[in-house]
Amino acid sequence: MHADAMRPEEAFRRTPPGPGALRDFGLPPVERRTLANGLTLLSCTSRHFPVVTVSMLLEAGGVYEPAEKAGVAALTAELLESGAGARSAADIAEDAESLGVSLGSSISWDVAYVGLTGLRSKLEPASEILASVVREPTFPLEEVERLRAERLAEILQRRADPRSLASEMASRFVFSPETPFSRPLGGPSATVAMLQRGDVETFYRARYRPGDTSVLVVGDISADEAAALVEARLGDWSGVPEPAGEVLVRPRSPEAQMIIIDRPGAVQSELRIGHVGVERATPDYFSIVVMNTILGGAFSSRLNLSLRERHGYTYGVSSGFAMRRSPGSFLVSTAVQTEVTAPAVREVLATLAGMRDAEVTPAELNDARNYLAGIFPLRVQTTDGLASRLAELVIYGLPEDYFEHYRERVLAVSADEVLRAAQRYLRPAELAVVVVGDAAKIAGPLAELGLGEPRIYNQEGEER
Amino acid sequence: MRIPIERFTLENGLRVVFSEDHALPVVAVNLWYNVGSRNERPGRTGFAHLFEHMMFQGSQNVPNTEHIAHIERVGGSMNGSTWLDRTNYFETVPAHQLELALWLESDRMGFLLPAMTQEKLDNQRSVVQNERRQRVDNQPYGDWDERIQALVYPPEHPYHHSVIGSMEDLDAATLEDVAEFFRTYYAPNNAVLSVVGDFKREEALALVERYFGSLPRGPEPPPLPGRPELSLRIGREVREVVEATVALPRVYLAYRIPPYGSDEFYPADIAAHLLAAGKASRLYRSLVREQRIAQDVVAYAFPIVTGASMMVLWATAAPGRLLEDVERALLAQVDALSEAPPSEAEMQRALTRIESRETIGMQQVGERADHLSLYTTLFDDPERINTELDRYRAVTPEQVQRMAREYLVEENRVVLSYTPKQAEEAA
Repeated sequence: MHADAMRPEEAFRRTPPGPGALRDFGLPPVERRTLANGLTLLSCTSRHFPVVTVSMLLEAGGVYEPAEKAGVAALTAELLESGAGARSAADIAEDAESLGVSLGSSISWDVAYVGLTGLRSKLEPASEILASVVREPTFPLEEVERLRAERLAEILQRRADPRSLASEMASRFVFSPETPFSRPLGGPSATVAMLQRGDVETFYRARYRPGDTSVLVVGDISADEAAALVEARLGDWSGVPEPAGEVLVRPRSPEAQMIIIDRPGAVQSELRIGHVGVERATPDYFSIVVMNTILGGAFSSRLNLSLRERHGYTYGVSSGFAMRRSPGSFLVSTAVQTEVTAPAVREVLATLAGMRDAEVTPAELNDARNYLAGIFPLRVQTTDGLASRLAELVIYGLPEDYFEHYRERVLAVSADEVLRAAQRYLRPAELAVVVVGDAAKIAGPLAELGLGEPRIYNQEGEER
Repeated sequence: MRIPIERFTLENGLRVVFSEDHALPVVAVNLWYNVGSRNERPGRTGFAHLFEHMMFQGSQNVPNTEHIAHIERVGGSMNGSTWLDRTNYFETVPAHQLELALWLESDRMGFLLPAMTQEKLDNQRSVVQNERRQRVDNQPYGDWDERIQALVYPPEHPYHHSVIGSMEDLDAATLEDVAEFFRTYYAPNNAVLSVVGDFKREEALALVERYFGSLPRGPEPPPLPGRPELSLRIGREVREVVEATVALPRVYLAYRIPPYGSDEFYPADIAAHLLAAGKASRLYRSLVREQRIAQDVVAYAFPIVTGASMMVLWATAAPGRLLEDVERALLAQVDALSEAPPSEAEMQRALTRIESRETIGMQQVGERADHLSLYTTLFDDPERINTELDRYRAVTPEQVQRMAREYLVEENRVVLSYTPKQAEEAA
């Protein structure tokens, strides 16, 4: 092929240009106040756009629901918008949308989020709606029934989607059945189908209380204005959440397992390979994050360069630690062409082993550290992004100056620390290899990987 | 709120748009090439997108996989995407790395071909085919847009085929195709470069000149293949039923509407908002909340410019509900738009929603840069970033009704239904 000519006088093109002068970067200051009723307010002023995000974090996540009522935390959060005070579900939707605010409620395993993002000019009336849905939801019976039916239909739909099915099955095979994380957040159909309005009310009364609740106010608003707003809407709300028990986290099996969820005719296999991970508060946090970036946390990671760029097995692969107040999972996730399922799993296993066998190269270490340090400002461009950072502080009890030192702590991680993180937090002997794919085509080759004979399940998770 | 804009054109035809913003030490570099799947010739569907992948495989001075590595190691984010009308490439980097981003983009705009090899093409073909498997073939309802496009647009129209393309055509792509496509479409005069964020005008202009100024102008790109002009009416109702691995039946409705950018597009976009944006929308209220026959509802006016755009609506049947009933309920709501103009309150709600969405989205420099490239590539008018909302504000309830009467009609309708395949394995 004929090369399109580069001009000889343009030798500057041959090497990457160096950086210009580094610009200072600091998060806008975070102000913390505690109201008399125990409610914590964190505010952060950023006046660049006329936008404000208000986010409430309540101690009402999935870990707080009893196993026999699994799904009640998600259903409760969703039902907040289904009626509050004098407003019906339709009134709430119309009033919020007339203001152009996106009102939303959802849960993680740790907390429930109720919040909104909207124009500053609409904040006063919008916050009245937000306070009302949190403080005085009415849980109308027909809405309880409607949303319960919607959840059940969603569970049905997830079963037909190989990606969701693989993630659900990975949780089931990584954690022991009594660990909450073994079930889908939002509950399995068996318990969701039984949930009644009374269950929702009981959960709401126990968990939605200002004590231990935090409100984050971020954007085009001063700390004093934020405080006045929150005081006016939530200052006279009272109560504390009921005490909750410890969250038990145990692996399903002490040994490696090879699991196939059969999906006859599938053109790809969805892979989830992992085991129990680590809690967010771990002192090894920074070493683990740098280690995972090199393993599968960036495009230029070992896993992606191998499975995608070298072998062409997949459109992409990633690895990650779900860090919660208690240990979530460590998982490698990808979808590969059916024919290369076993070679792809072998490559993942070899890559995991490689992280434990030797130190990463100085170039890998530098690149990963610089990536993590540099990407940070990109994640706080929006009021939503800033609020998510503040939520991390609140949920995991991180020190106020945490983000001030974030970059220097990332940059201080050594190759030895990365190696020790790999040896401690990647444990090949405990891996669950979960494959959603065509068992007739993949079971034979997978049996030869040395993780034992694959056990084959149907899409409902019943062993064949 | 007004986004400041400065516009330049280099001698080689490269259009450059600047917008300074010093709030955070970040800068976005965004390039739109005026080429998409609409430019593909028969037998090469999916090629524009496969080519986009090749743009990340190195160029004369950037080794394979190093493009992305360079961006990641300075803490930047980047990607590219291909659509019907265009292909874009973008990165957001720390402000002091602007020159690196410009170097990378200029190297592949000017000197891609020396780095192309059969091995790289085979590898990315495989990656793209896996992308198709993941997003289309192994995904419930994953081929809906491919099917809808084929039904809304006739075979000779450039939108008849999907962006991802067929497995066979991807198999057929050669290195010669890569070279020809590059020489035809990847030239400064067929591109727009937007830079948004924390930079100084004079410095950035000098850098843009340094890296892009000497790249040679390319030939005038050829006209679109096939017949881009077409009637804004399909002329009849077209129906297709697909049996697939889905849990719940779903029905899609699609209509030809006036192209994005034309005055008549905006009433259609507002209609889509009235129908299905948010829980106060007509379809959500009626089908999901009140009648409980649908699990979800969507309505969307495609921002595409070649000949005709389309409005697509869909509803997934709630368990135990008949798809015919869902379709009837959906059509009743569409017809209601023709029967009476929407209320002022409803119009206001849709408008407020669009205004909020635009303002909230503009917080990110990358989003602003992409909009500037869009308005410049499609309409040669970056100022539209500041005036586009006026086009929505100008829409009257009567225009929405008129649009519905004209276009959301049976003779201009595609109905695509998915029904669950009966389980093959008798348990």
